[in-house]
Amino acid sequence: MEGSDTYLIRPNHQHKFKPAIVKECIREIVREQLSGLKYEPEEVSELSRSLAECIKDKVKNAGFDRYKLVVQVVIGEQRGQGVKMSSRCLWDADTDNYAEDVFMNDSLFCVVAVFGSYYY
Amino acid sequence: MDEYQTEEETAFVVEDVSTIIKESVEAAIGGNAYQHSRVNQWTTSVVEQCLSQLSKLGKPFKYIVTCIIMQKNGAGLQTASACFWDNTTDDSCAVRWENKSMYCIVSVFGLAI
Repeated sequence: MEGSDTYLIRPNHQHKFKPAIVKECIREIVREQLSGLKYEPEEVSELSRSLAECIKDKVKNAGFDRYKLVVQVVIGEQRGQGVKMSSRCLWDADTDNYAEDVFMNDSLFCVVAVFGSYYY
Repeated sequence: MDEYQTEEETAFVVEDVSTIIKESVEAAIGGNAYQHSRVNQWTTSVVEQCLSQLSKLGKPFKYIVTCIIMQKNGAGLQTASACFWDNTTDDSCAVRWENKSMYCIVSVFGLAI
């Protein structure tokens, strides 16, 4: 077993997707952009898109080498209605992971889920 | 015994995925009216059914499936996604479905291995 192999089939610990760090990224951006905001039907489309982009960029720069990222943002109006979100993934449980966070104020709720999938 | 798959057999075909989603939602919810006690079961059943059908396609993909069900009462709902992936192989498909009492939005992301 001499010489070094350049193929990485597993991320080393340092570069592994860490849900706690990603959750903090999400929380920070969502709080910053949505605090005190009211649900405006005309603006929510652009808002959710820019939020998703912003979170993607932030997580991309967090140093999770060779990870593909999927960021999903859901923003809804608070009117006392019932809402439920579920997800399932078919992936490599050793390397892949996700983080999520929920934000709420009087007018809206926002759920963000970030999925990280290792590219071998 | 080596078999090579053609591009069509290994690509993420949005129409096929869209059909799988619609069938899963119809099978799980169909004409039911919104019931708080059953929403958990519905969203779970939709994502699991989708994933099981997707895996049967036998393509070299990892899949992420999400499902949101919201009761209709005039409240607005918006979803958006942003991805950092390989645009040439990876793709997504989202389906919006509704009946009289609820909205259901299902998104599938396919990441090539």
